[in-house]
Amino acid sequence: MFEIEYGDNGEVLCRGRLDAAQCEKALGFMDGLEGPSTLDFAELEYISSAGLGILLKTQKRLVGSSTGLKIINVNNHIHDVFRYSGFHTIFDIEAKE
Amino acid sequence: MRRDFPRSLDSLSPLYEFAEETFESNDISPGVRFPVHLAMEELFVNMVKYNPNVSTDITVEVTVTFLGDATNDATSSKEVTVTLVDDGGVEFDVTAQRQVNIEAPLEERTPGGLGIHLIQNLADRLQYTYKDGRGEVIFTKGSGNEDV
Repeated sequence: MFEIEYGDNGEVLCRGRLDAAQCEKALGFMDGLEGPSTLDFAELEYISSAGLGILLKTQKRLVGSSTGLKIINVNNHIHDVFRYSGFHTIFDIEAKE
Repeated sequence: MRRDFPRSLDSLSPLYEFAEETFESNDISPGVRFPVHLAMEELFVNMVKYNPNVSTDITVEVTVTFLGDATNDATSSKEVTVTLVDDGGVEFDVTAQRQVNIEAPLEERTPGGLGIHLIQNLADRLQYTYKDGRGEVIFTKGSGNEDV
């Protein structure tokens, strides 16, 4: 189960599990982002390398014309996946408090 | 527990539920569940992706071993072992070292290879064998090593 939609303040809310089976849904939404965007991962439980690939593709597209993606409220498991992948050097990431 | 799964991304959700059944009944911590789920998905997806013309199911087995004091309670040290058997697939050694530069600038990054890189970093033990067209991967993660 994975859901992605705009929040009240224009941030992108991601919920559930972003696995390889959900990538088409995620990419379909992310391809519509223009300019700097904030992804709120407060309710995202899980991400695999397939999901990382979508973040990477979107960041590459956006950084050419803006500051790219900011990812907030990242749980400690996903934060460690970002760290192992070196994503902390190419994304603006805020851990969940 | 062992179960056969159709070789399709549609199997990922049932695969997750299958592992959760074992984790729930054995009180496995989130710090072990996350990397095991991640490894299961990455390994399963590789078997699907690199064998598009193979139709056999992929067999997955999840076992929990109690270390030291063999009691099933929250304080026991436990080890989860996941075995995936791919009968008919091509050889793909997931233990082989691959070049993944996680310090490269954005413009040089590609998503390829990250899944195997993550598995190799998260596993306590990772084994691969291939014989007569049958590949077997064993991923082990124990409590006390929950770095994710």
